[in-house]
Amino acid sequence: MINNKNKSNLHYLDNAATTPKPKAVLDKMMEYYEQYPANIHRGLYPMSERATEEYEKVRGKVSKFIGAKSLSEIIFTSGTTDSINLVARSLNIKKDDEIAVEIEAHHSNFVPWQQLGNIKFEVNKNTRILAITHVSNVFGQIYDIKSSIKKAREINPEIIVVVDGAQAVAHVKVDVTDLDCDFYAFSGHKMYGPTGVGVLYAKAERQKVMQPVKFGGGMIKTVSTTESTWADGPEKFEAGTPPIGEVIGLGAAVDFINDFGMENIVRHEKELTDYLIDEIEKIEWLKILGQGKGENRIGVVSMYSDNKMIGTSHDMADILGQEFGVCVRAGHHCAMPLHTKYGIETGTVRASVGVFNTKEDIGELIKGLKTVWTTFIKK
Amino acid sequence: MDDIYKEIILDHYQNPNHRGKLEGGIEAGEVNMTCGDSLKIFAKIEKDKIIDAKFEGGGCAISMAAVDMLLDVVIGKKLSEVKKMSGEEIEKMMGIELTSSRKKCAYLGLEVLKKIDVK
Repeated sequence: MINNKNKSNLHYLDNAATTPKPKAVLDKMMEYYEQYPANIHRGLYPMSERATEEYEKVRGKVSKFIGAKSLSEIIFTSGTTDSINLVARSLNIKKDDEIAVEIEAHHSNFVPWQQLGNIKFEVNKNTRILAITHVSNVFGQIYDIKSSIKKAREINPEIIVVVDGAQAVAHVKVDVTDLDCDFYAFSGHKMYGPTGVGVLYAKAERQKVMQPVKFGGGMIKTVSTTESTWADGPEKFEAGTPPIGEVIGLGAAVDFINDFGMENIVRHEKELTDYLIDEIEKIEWLKILGQGKGENRIGVVSMYSDNKMIGTSHDMADILGQEFGVCVRAGHHCAMPLHTKYGIETGTVRASVGVFNTKEDIGELIKGLKTVWTTFIKK
Repeated sequence: MDDIYKEIILDHYQNPNHRGKLEGGIEAGEVNMTCGDSLKIFAKIEKDKIIDAKFEGGGCAISMAAVDMLLDVVIGKKLSEVKKMSGEEIEKMMGIELTSSRKKCAYLGLEVLKKIDVK
């Protein structure tokens, strides 16, 4: 995408859906596929040993990146949804187990719990699991989950805390040890890495009680005709050949973020976000869902119009995309209960910034939004 | 961009001819999850003939204009004939060419009409 020759005609503001992939990430993946495309943990030949080393090196990188205590707390999955489903299915949840969820949650941290347990919107002493969001994919708000987790542990010391960090990892510094969560889930492709790979951080003592949910090669210790035993550590949850090239690409994405520097990312994105919000607030017919400018938000901004003569979010996004090359998301952003709560059934238009964006991208978005008005009203 | 938001489309969206409820009619409905469109059509059918029809719901300009234009066309026609209509006929009726994601919006009305079941 950033290599796109038509970059000047493309204003990609859908980073919350997926980020562009830097060349360093693609090169690193290509290196695996071209130079040592072997399976891991199997071969004794040099190429396989190199693949294993590179793959396992990423576990260390990721563990450092999010402040885990040990690299064995990092489980590779296919993405945030897969990570949360793994937690949900590995803890032997019963129908009447109370699970505290949020109306603001992305469907991935809502639907898996709704399927298994008795969902509530508050924590009490019987709450077994608290499923929370670090950064909202609709409001862009950064929640003070450290306090929420502390409070929840005061109410029930046994509570298991699962955090959806999909929108956080590429935009704020994450320290799972400081947060004191039990699980933290995120995707590679929303942090400049490839699709098809994600991470589940599972605190060591919690990982011990998790039961594997996928069975087969790679996750066993011994297999006889009558029974099998499981591997220790994260391999227990990584049955089958994992997405090796993608994990290696994820490692390069972590390097990319570290090289850029999280402070620089935060500063760059805040500047763009402030500009974006200032400009949107000048547009009378448009409203921002959630908070305006501030420290506790990232550059995810959802907007809508109350004016029934203007089309819905879908119409707006179509005009922005077709006429201005501005890529934004329209609809519910996988948070239908939230949109229903705010009475915006036809959805919002969501713009989300990343490290590759410039003020010009925001300028084109604003120009496009003004055209939406003239399309519907002053034609 | 080949302008899909032509005056006639906007007119049907902003000043629809057939919005409302129809007492005693047959009801059918559908939602389009990608954008949050929801549509209900009420139809009065006599001996396979669509005597009257109205719609309720919310959605993008394309889906709402399409259903209003469609009802203009189908009232007075045989339901069995209407059920044979294709998506291309909807685009022809609207006089616009749609991208694949917008086809879903435009076809919503026809999809719902096809669900109308005379017992």
